[in-house]
Amino acid sequence: MLSIKNLHANIEGKEILKGINLEVKAGEVHAIMGPNGSGKSSLASVLAGRENYEVTEGEVWLDGKNLLDMKPEVRAREGVFLAFQYPVEIPGVSNINFLRTALSEIRTHRELPQLSAKEFLKMTKEKQALVEFEAKLANRSLNQGFSGGEKKRNEVFQLAMLEPKLSILDETDSGLDIDALRIVSNGINKLRSPDNAFILITHYQRLLEYIVPDFVHVLYNGQIVRSGTKELALELEEKGYDWLKEEFHGSESINKI
Amino acid sequence: MADQFTTPFYNQLVAEFENAPKGEETNSELLKSREDAFELFKAKGFPTSKDEDWKFTNLTPFLTDTFSLTTGKVDQDQVKNAVNAAVIPGLDAWMLVLLNGEVQFDLSVLPEADQFNVQPLEEVISTEVYKNYITCKEAEGNRMYALNAAFFTNGYFLEVPKNIVVNKPVQIIHLYTAAENMFFQPRHLIIVNENAKAELIEVSVSLGNAQRVLMNSVSQVTVKENANLIQYTIQDNAAEDRLINYNHVTQERSSRYDNFTFNLPGAELIRNNLEIVLNGTATETHLLGLYLVAGHQLTDNHTAIHHRFPHCDSNEIYKGVLLDKGKAVFNGKVFVERPAQKTNAFQQNNNLLLSDKAQVFAKPQLEIFADDVKCSHGCTVGQFDPESLFYLQSRGISEESARKLLVEAFMFDVTQKIENEVVKGYVQSLIYKKMENSLATII
Ligand SMILES: Nc1ncnc2c1ncn2[C@@H]1O[C@H](COP(=O)(O)OP(=O)(O)OP(=O)(O)O)[C@@H](O)[C@H]1O
Ligand SMILES: [Mg+2]
Repeated sequence: MLSIKNLHANIEGKEILKGINLEVKAGEVHAIMGPNGSGKSSLASVLAGRENYEVTEGEVWLDGKNLLDMKPEVRAREGVFLAFQYPVEIPGVSNINFLRTALSEIRTHRELPQLSAKEFLKMTKEKQALVEFEAKLANRSLNQGFSGGEKKRNEVFQLAMLEPKLSILDETDSGLDIDALRIVSNGINKLRSPDNAFILITHYQRLLEYIVPDFVHVLYNGQIVRSGTKELALELEEKGYDWLKEEFHGSESINKI
Repeated sequence: MADQFTTPFYNQLVAEFENAPKGEETNSELLKSREDAFELFKAKGFPTSKDEDWKFTNLTPFLTDTFSLTTGKVDQDQVKNAVNAAVIPGLDAWMLVLLNGEVQFDLSVLPEADQFNVQPLEEVISTEVYKNYITCKEAEGNRMYALNAAFFTNGYFLEVPKNIVVNKPVQIIHLYTAAENMFFQPRHLIIVNENAKAELIEVSVSLGNAQRVLMNSVSQVTVKENANLIQYTIQDNAAEDRLINYNHVTQERSSRYDNFTFNLPGAELIRNNLEIVLNGTATETHLLGLYLVAGHQLTDNHTAIHHRFPHCDSNEIYKGVLLDKGKAVFNGKVFVERPAQKTNAFQQNNNLLLSDKAQVFAKPQLEIFADDVKCSHGCTVGQFDPESLFYLQSRGISEESARKLLVEAFMFDVTQKIENEVVKGYVQSLIYKKMENSLATII
């Protein structure tokens, strides 16, 4: 489904992604872990099309289409969804109006019939129930006044509404309380299908107990320095990142000789 | 370099006044006020950018044409069509139509006088009612006001009797049309008597015959004790129009006045002066404005609120969206005089700059002489937040729709205050229609 080849990207002239390779197949769940500042959110941003990143090298394909050629909204319509690490508050844009606009533009692109007001409302209710997202949406501005946890749930709720192929969840687990983590994870598990895929960016092994990944990758210094299965997450939990950093810098100095 | 005293238009106005047949005016007080006003105008001429209040709005380029002061024939069918087009769809309202400042009873739909009374201003100016309105203290020295005071001949008078809650809003259509370049100076008088309540929706439109229309209008409004007036001004004029307005509002004790001003892309010059005099305790005032400035427009809103009595609240929010090569001026004065203790005065002005060729000059001006008051003001100039834009786009929303949503969000503080849902919908749709082109072309 997703194929990332030797992806390099800069922000403000500084290289952040330094040759990422990643293959994600339909039906899979990949976890990406790594120390702060290693480039995880940057990778998510580049995939979603954030403008201030400049791709200097490499390719990204989504089901045979060149993702890097598309504007962010087209990527979304093609099925990429990014749950933001820090969702923005947009005072004055109503949650409902926003969702309706998004869904309508996505459905047009996917050549699906538009939903009636009633169908839309029904879907909203169902998907809210799925993540037990109880915040009242009507007459409220997008994310405004939402607690940290509510914002995260709203991201997953939107994910459920927009039915993407590839979902990238950037630290959706941080900020959720223990119960919320379980609920949101259950919701995501229900959304899993053989036709979609998930990339979970996280610092915590706990999330991966609920949503069991097929692969775990460690991103460090703009590169994937290690890939494995869920046992890798356990090993990281136990040992931290130092051993990987050392290994990485060791190999780097060897390369230089 | 030619100064304004040697421009044909200035000379034309001076000659016009001096050659006008005297003795036509039966009201000597009015006659004197006209002469005084004229002397001021003659001596000082049009305002220039040397005047503090006109620093950013240079009138000179708008006065170089010649203008006729007398209306020629107008095509009645055209007028009817234009009036129909200006009617707010779905609004159940009384209708007052003015053509070039002249009340058109045949095009109006008005109730019996027990709801409210409408007369052409000409019929009122020599009566007792008008006595209090001949001079206007706050406008002393204002040369555009003086020019109007010297020349005005027509306009409307609207009075709501005591204790009457007018059963429907009143839409007032000001239609301007010209077969040649025209100069209009209407004058209006609105009185809402004790305990009465009314909602006026004034829409200014023009036929757009490619002739220049210069308008210098004055309105005087009194909201008596315990009365309540909501006044909307929707300026939706053609590019050839140059609008200068002076709206003077006096509020008596315990009254409430809400003013909504919507300036739409169109008229190449809009200059509004809104002056509120709080002439009693416990009044409430809301001034809400939206200026959308596109093309080569210059839109200037000057507001002034005079707090003279204790326990009065005023609340002002003006928001501007600037597109293309538009230029906006906002000046908000709040005067809190010594007796006006326990005043709450709040003012906010926000500008969304959507083009790097657009300009905005904003100046909040608070002068406070009382000590026990709560006053605040804030002024911002910003652009679209790229984070918000990206967030919306990342949900599949096109850049254009995202901008539209963000403009809507920006204006929300003002639009949410429009209680009349039909008017709200109408204003919003006008805004989108007018901005569509400009919004689509922002890079
Ligand atoms: N706008 C920016 N300007 C300059 N540097 C930036 C910018 N955005 C991110 N960076 C830098 O890019 C690097 C990678 O940041 P990124 O947010 O991708 O890290 P992360 O792996 O998501 O970290 P965390 O675990 O803390 O969320 C960091 O060094 C960060 O400072
Ligand atoms: Mg991050």
